[in-house]
Amino acid sequence: MADSVKIAIVGSGPSGLSAAAHAAELGLSYALLEAEPHLSNTIFRYQKGKHVMAEPGVLPLRSPLKFEAGRREQILSNWAHGAAQLKLQAKMSSPVTAIKGNKGNFTLTLGIGGGTLQAENVVLAIGLQGNIRKLGVDGEDAPFVQYTLDDPDEYQDEAIVIVGAGDAGIENALALMGHNRVTILNRDSEFTRAKEANNAAVLKALANGQMKCLYKAGIAKAEPLDGRPRGRLTIKTDTGEVSVDCDRVIARLGAMPPRKFVESAGVTFPSKDPNSVPAVSPTYESNVPGLYIIGALAGFPLIKQAMNQGFEVIEFIEGRDVEPADTPLLRQKFTGVPQWGDVNAALEYIRGRVPVLSPLTPLQLREFLLDSEIRTPKAGDVIFARNDYTDTFYSVVEGIAEVQISPTDPTKIVRLGTGEFFGEMSLISGRRRSATIKAGPGCVVIETPRRSMNKLINSVADVKRVVDETFIRRAIQAHFASNVPPAALADIVSTARIERFRPNELLFKQGDTGDCLHLIRRGSVMVSREVGGKDIVLAYAPAGQYVGEMALISEGVRTAPVRAAVAVETIRLEGDAFQALMEREPSVREQVVRVYKDRLQANAVAQHQQSEGNVISFLLQQGVGEATDVLLIDESLCVRCDQCEKACADTHGNVGRLNREAGPTFKNLHVPTSCRHCEHPHCMKDCPPDAIRRSPGGEVYITDSCIGCGNCERNCPYGVIQMGIMSKEKPSLWKWMMFGGGSEPGLFEPAYAKDAAKKAAKCDMCKDLPGGPACVRACPTGAAVRVSPEEFMRVART
Amino acid sequence: MHESFLRHARWRYLKAAVALSVVSSALYLWHDPLDGPNGGTWLGYTLGTLGALLIAWLAWLGIRKRQYASNLGTVRGWVSAHVYLGLALLVVATLHTGFQFGMNLHTLAYVLMVLVIASGVWGIAVYTRYPRMITDHRSQATREAWLEEVLELNERAIALADRISPDVHRFVLRSAERLHLGGSWREQLFYKGGSAAGTELGALTEILRKKLTASDAERAAVTDSEQVILLTDDKIMLSERDPAIERLKQLLELLTRRNDIAGRVNQDVQMHGRLQVWLYLHVPLTAALLAALAAHIIAVFLYR
Repeated sequence: MADSVKIAIVGSGPSGLSAAAHAAELGLSYALLEAEPHLSNTIFRYQKGKHVMAEPGVLPLRSPLKFEAGRREQILSNWAHGAAQLKLQAKMSSPVTAIKGNKGNFTLTLGIGGGTLQAENVVLAIGLQGNIRKLGVDGEDAPFVQYTLDDPDEYQDEAIVIVGAGDAGIENALALMGHNRVTILNRDSEFTRAKEANNAAVLKALANGQMKCLYKAGIAKAEPLDGRPRGRLTIKTDTGEVSVDCDRVIARLGAMPPRKFVESAGVTFPSKDPNSVPAVSPTYESNVPGLYIIGALAGFPLIKQAMNQGFEVIEFIEGRDVEPADTPLLRQKFTGVPQWGDVNAALEYIRGRVPVLSPLTPLQLREFLLDSEIRTPKAGDVIFARNDYTDTFYSVVEGIAEVQISPTDPTKIVRLGTGEFFGEMSLISGRRRSATIKAGPGCVVIETPRRSMNKLINSVADVKRVVDETFIRRAIQAHFASNVPPAALADIVSTARIERFRPNELLFKQGDTGDCLHLIRRGSVMVSREVGGKDIVLAYAPAGQYVGEMALISEGVRTAPVRAAVAVETIRLEGDAFQALMEREPSVREQVVRVYKDRLQANAVAQHQQSEGNVISFLLQQGVGEATDVLLIDESLCVRCDQCEKACADTHGNVGRLNREAGPTFKNLHVPTSCRHCEHPHCMKDCPPDAIRRSPGGEVYITDSCIGCGNCERNCPYGVIQMGIMSKEKPSLWKWMMFGGGSEPGLFEPAYAKDAAKKAAKCDMCKDLPGGPACVRACPTGAAVRVSPEEFMRVART
Repeated sequence: MHESFLRHARWRYLKAAVALSVVSSALYLWHDPLDGPNGGTWLGYTLGTLGALLIAWLAWLGIRKRQYASNLGTVRGWVSAHVYLGLALLVVATLHTGFQFGMNLHTLAYVLMVLVIASGVWGIAVYTRYPRMITDHRSQATREAWLEEVLELNERAIALADRISPDVHRFVLRSAERLHLGGSWREQLFYKGGSAAGTELGALTEILRKKLTASDAERAAVTDSEQVILLTDDKIMLSERDPAIERLKQLLELLTRRNDIAGRVNQDVQMHGRLQVWLYLHVPLTAALLAALAAHIIAVFLYR
């Protein structure tokens, strides 16, 4: 018998379930069809206990069903509860095998149990996970090959091969390695596709021998065996084929749109790329009228977006117009600029005026602006000042921004007009602002936080190109040629390119021909020289300085090797172009020669004082090459009283962030385990709520929005982040001192509620305390000081 | 870059202390009361009041250094002032007495004050001497690493002894049990190197010597091997690569290394102890001084 409904919803994932819930809420005639015997198969198949995020955080949820970040189990139970309350009807185990027809008259063929369903409208919410990418070789469906992992504890003492080095593969491998022998197959030579925290965790596990990895490897064949091991794999690697026996293969290779099925319903795809998704209208309607596509299949992979679309699509089908959920938020952002019109008009206005934002898709632009702020400073207002430690990015939409390019002469100004941007220097180098910028007349700018801008730079190639080119041009201007007209630089700018170096990699070695100059834009380098068979570090150059000028001036060979102290990016300026510039512009030559002479002198001094070089090289080994502020203890003054630790704990909710004794010592100079406030903080890389920030003073701190996920703790290579429970309670000093009651301030460990959540704690340099870091102020003997990179040389000399 | 509390702010408080002492002494020499210098003259009262205020303020350091959020100077500045003005107190208070001492409460307060200052001077001495010594002694290692190594060597020694003979095993076990780290405050502070385990090591050497010579004699009868066994206090040197003898040699090496590291730990503990022990006199004496000072002031005003 053929049923008939107004809306047939195919798939009960976040989008389909939300659509059905809204239809049920409105009392519409609908049918929810799910191929599996349970709802939301993709989330159901998540690894047990997986933490599910609710990004983007600012977007309000628009669904009758509840959803917030949490464990897989909690989310599924919320949905089941919501569905039960709405008396939601779903046909389980009813895969749809074909969709035919048009608006008002669709026929859906159901696979198992047979039968058909008539529907006026179809909402296709099948996602991608129903079409998992398989191994694509003989034996891909062998019994020992699987494509999901529900409960890692189900397997013990097995030899397991994980195929795929993305987040899913890594997370599975990490969960399994405790009780099994795990090998992970990576078709690359690095784990580049994974999140930072997963990357760090997998590298650590490999280093500890907890799992193995085959790099540049792929499966050629899978054969089942009788008994154990249960199967044999033929694996292709760089060095030929190898045969590996195992009990289980778990392939996590992602998923593809189920193209054949979707195309059979008449839907067209914009490109032949197997990853491409069908195009939909602003009301989510496909090219087939009455056939709507929402969720991952429409290119919206985030759960919250998908749930909102489920709600919205029902509204659209009912003939009501709903504006996207983020529109009220965007409208709020645009209140300062009523002349731009309503949200859509304003978005187009921005796109038309700011070239760096024009390559963005409408969705990307909306997301970008949700993270950003529109600023309308009055003429003469300071947008940021030289030496501020802020790292946001600004795009000029209207009016003028004035850049004071000289630190001494405020009348030297460069004007930036509509469509230009600034702030990219600090964004890329992680260092202080290099100039003061004031608002000119009629100035309207978009201020974008570091994370959103980095995301954009990394995902849109055109944005990256424009930002990089501008960075190069401005860096050259700022370093050598503030008086030189931009046209004279065209030559050198066009040949300049960005080079990257791994820690300890040589930029150039002694005896190389000096054919270029490196302007350091990120990280820092060390200049050394071999003296008596040992490498003595002569100098250290942080981002913002350049190296390699010596050989260019003396037109000879490199006299000293230069090595990256941390991961380094430089702008490589070609020697010929630079020589030509120096010949044309005597002021450039003068400036470079001055630096050259200073360096020669400093090197000669350093070579005589080898111990100083050793101190610098010790400090660089401790990672201070990427630091902006380090706690250094002079052990000849330190009386081991731990006042610094107590002060830290007492002023920071009874959770200390400093371990005085841990950490290496070199000639009485001790680097305790304490935050260095890195130029590019490792902790910031993968913070789900974006809770780690840098204040204008340079302090990297964690805001209250921390969710306690521990990513920063894992990402910090210096081990300076602790997970702890902070409390406002403080012990009484007088009670302790006079009567011995309670505990000493600084050593207080209050009792906590059992369910109190641990959050990340790190040094914030006591930015909220007047007078500066408590550890230094509490040191009775003067042993503890905090120093910045500029001061390292002075430390080395004392 | 690093500046010691003694040099704080270009010796600011040393200068202040010297000035205070000089002014007090000059006034004392200039002032010539009828009944001779004493605490009851106007200068005596002035110096006494100043001294009492100084004592109260000096004692306040114990509070200030625990007020971690306080922005009233740095603790280093406070310590610097504490040291120099504390030394100047000796001059101020001595002049306040007018050199009139006796077997009474007043002199008791003075004596306590001198003891407090003396213990403070001791503190300055250890603070300048021990920090560097501790670093040098550690030579990049940590106490935790040492302790771990001691435990590991212990385990290896016990396992090895087990393969040698039951009596050696028993011996090594007992030696491990009696291995002494830290101990009472007296043991910590007056550790002199060596340990119960060390003397046991001597005894063990003796046992081993007997064993070796015995087995050597037996062997000599059979094989006439030319073994040279040299036994010194802690070391045993053998010429022949006999597995049994190798094991004994290894055991002695393990135990020697273990005792050496245990000795380092004890020295480390000792230096840390000596760095802090003066405070255990300085602080209680200060409390006694405050009590005696209060009694002195009350006595002076009530029973004059």
